[in-house]
Amino acid sequence: MSGAAAIEVRGLRREFRVRQGMFAAPKRVIAVDDVSFSVPAGSVLGVVGESGCGKSTLARLILGLLEPSAGDVLVDGQRLGGMDRRARARLIQPVFQDPFASLNPKRRVRDIVAMPLIAQGTIGTAEIARRVAEALERVGLSPDQGGRFPAQLSGGQRQRVAIARALVLRPRIVVCDEPTSALDVSVQAQILNLLAELRRDLGLTYLFISHNLAVVEHIASEVAVMYLGRIVERAESERLFAAPRHPYTRALLASVLTPEPGLGVPDVGLGDIMPDPANIPPGCRFHPRCPVAVAKCSTETPRPASDAAGLVECHLA
Amino acid sequence: MSALLEVQDLRVTIGSTAAVRGASLAVNKGETHCLVGESGCGKSITALSVMGLLPRGAKRETTALRFAGEEIGHFGEREMSRLRGDRMAMIFQEPMTSLNPAYTVGSQMTEVLRRHRGTPRAQAVDRAAELLARVGITAPGLRLGQYPHQLSGGLRQRVMIAMALMCDPELLIADEPTTALDVTVQAQILRLLATLQKDLGLGILLITHDLGIVARVADRVSVMYAGEVVESAPTATLFAAPEHPYTRGLLSCVPVPGKVKRDEPLGSIPGVVPRMRPGFTGCGFRDRCGQASPACEGTLPRQQAGPDHELLCTLAPGWHGRNAA
Ligand SMILES: Nc1ncnc2c1ncn2[C@@H]1O[C@H](COP(=O)(O)OP(=O)(O)OP(=O)(O)O)[C@@H](O)[C@H]1O
Ligand SMILES: Nc1ncnc2c1ncn2[C@@H]1O[C@H](COP(=O)(O)OP(=O)(O)OP(=O)(O)O)[C@@H](O)[C@H]1O
Ligand code: SF4
Ligand SMILES: [Mg+2]
Ligand SMILES: [Mg+2]
Repeated sequence: MSGAAAIEVRGLRREFRVRQGMFAAPKRVIAVDDVSFSVPAGSVLGVVGESGCGKSTLARLILGLLEPSAGDVLVDGQRLGGMDRRARARLIQPVFQDPFASLNPKRRVRDIVAMPLIAQGTIGTAEIARRVAEALERVGLSPDQGGRFPAQLSGGQRQRVAIARALVLRPRIVVCDEPTSALDVSVQAQILNLLAELRRDLGLTYLFISHNLAVVEHIASEVAVMYLGRIVERAESERLFAAPRHPYTRALLASVLTPEPGLGVPDVGLGDIMPDPANIPPGCRFHPRCPVAVAKCSTETPRPASDAAGLVECHLA
Repeated sequence: MSALLEVQDLRVTIGSTAAVRGASLAVNKGETHCLVGESGCGKSITALSVMGLLPRGAKRETTALRFAGEEIGHFGEREMSRLRGDRMAMIFQEPMTSLNPAYTVGSQMTEVLRRHRGTPRAQAVDRAAELLARVGITAPGLRLGQYPHQLSGGLRQRVMIAMALMCDPELLIADEPTTALDVTVQAQILRLLATLQKDLGLGILLITHDLGIVARVADRVSVMYAGEVVESAPTATLFAAPEHPYTRGLLSCVPVPGKVKRDEPLGSIPGVVPRMRPGFTGCGFRDRCGQASPACEGTLPRQQAGPDHELLCTLAPGWHGRNAA
């Protein structure tokens, strides 16, 4: 197997104009700010970071659901920009957090799963039925459940429907945006096991977004940490969890409350200033919260430093 | 030690749902008791029962509901509202449930004290500023003049905690207070609650679905499933020697960094949480339980699995063959 990149992102940037009041001047929010990375075929890149740091925006850019303000996305070596929508659907598919919002409530499960096949416009009815049945079985849904409506299923079963729909075109890449965040712990484990099994059996590549670091550690081979639109650290999963290099990564890891009694709640040392994407601080964008910042952190922007261990963007790393 | 809060055999029915089916628990003074369980198992309804805030149409029965030794089960709305916000306070997942968007933080905080204690305004403002500082808010004077929507989620949650503390309550019920927050802010808020509890001798009933939170903050844990408390024990005991098949399953489901190798499956519990109808008898977990037997359809024995360790299950403690080490 070659190490060809399934996803490659170069200088990717996306801005939004937001108005914070009816008469306020529109402000510029840089949701994804000059991000570059590549994901080797067959691997899982986990993306973590706080609410609003740009994870979903990044996912939507890679899925082609959002136009970049600058930069490029290459999927399986091809530029996403000019790609035909149907060709794109055969290559890359999403699984979102809230399966209820993304499933048409008026359609039966098997029709929902058939939609991507029908949209291709070239696949016969018998073949569609066969592939839908195969996809449902693959995700552990019975033919009987295929005849139900989304409202008649539990949250975990609905997420299985969303996964079946994502897989029915046999894509190479699946972008999962918080796929288990809305689920109960016992059901989350079922879905994580299913996603891991599918990846192994079908040789899929995942971009896996979650705010739950323990979940990411369990499934991702590599992890990217986002802060206010930038990837501030990226490393192989074991390495990142064993030896985080960026102060923000260290704070994130410190705040993971593992079920080990007696350890108490750690002091993450971040203060009470919250990041505002409409007001990105000068210098290092993390400096107002950084427990180890030095003078130049508030004036000089650190450059990303790459080496064999990965990437880190901090003056002190 | 006599309990600060004692709930015995609580049953709540809402329409065609048996939301709570005989739950008992006790919170001691100065103790954090965590009530843990998955969505819909009855955690919030249990808390709201204690506060006298159940939704309209809910029917509540208990054999005892005692606060600081006094039976309050028969209290009407007038007596309950005198207790609420004064000797017992509650905070919610969504701070805007307790904050009014139309009033400043300062006026809402002082109002509590003026209503319950008739404290003069200037004194109430001082107390509010002191508490905001106490919950780690820098520039409390500025925050007092702001409206809730001008604050971040983490700050709002701190304001709500400060407001709950205005009258120096003995009992604080916190229903998923950090679920909507980022992990870094969650850790900060939980640390704050732990400090406050120690300093003020608060009894806390903390509701969560997160076993990580339970392990780190609880003195005692009650595990709820389908409206019942199925297991209750001191925290160290519950994590070291869980007995109920649901507790054991739940613990194996949680990914812990460094514990289960990537691509090795996590433990999981097959099936989904059932919805309970009134009249359902026996163990609510039996359809998902690998150990179920016909006896699980009958009345379940309440067993002592060890000192201070209660189990609601037909299996004998130690059934899983662990070697006491
Ligand atoms: N369509 C949009 N219009 C305006 N601003 C947007 C839009 N989408 C995202 N943003 C802004 O871009 C920033 C990044 O948002 P994004 O949804 O990517 O964050 P996230 O990391 O996925 O957060 P969460 O963990 O809460 O899902 C935020 O400040 C958000 O408000
Ligand atoms: N206002 C209501 N009307 C009708 N049924 C309700 C109401 N509130 C709760 N219930 C039902 O009562 C049961 C217990 O709900 P409760 O809110 O206590 O669960 P929970 O354990 O707090 O769950 P979560 O973790 O999702 O907050 C559920 O079956 C729920 O659907
Ligand atoms: S550059 Fe400075 S402020 Fe930024 S993370 Fe590193 S030490 Fe902290
Ligand atoms: Mg998002
Ligand atoms: Mg609840």
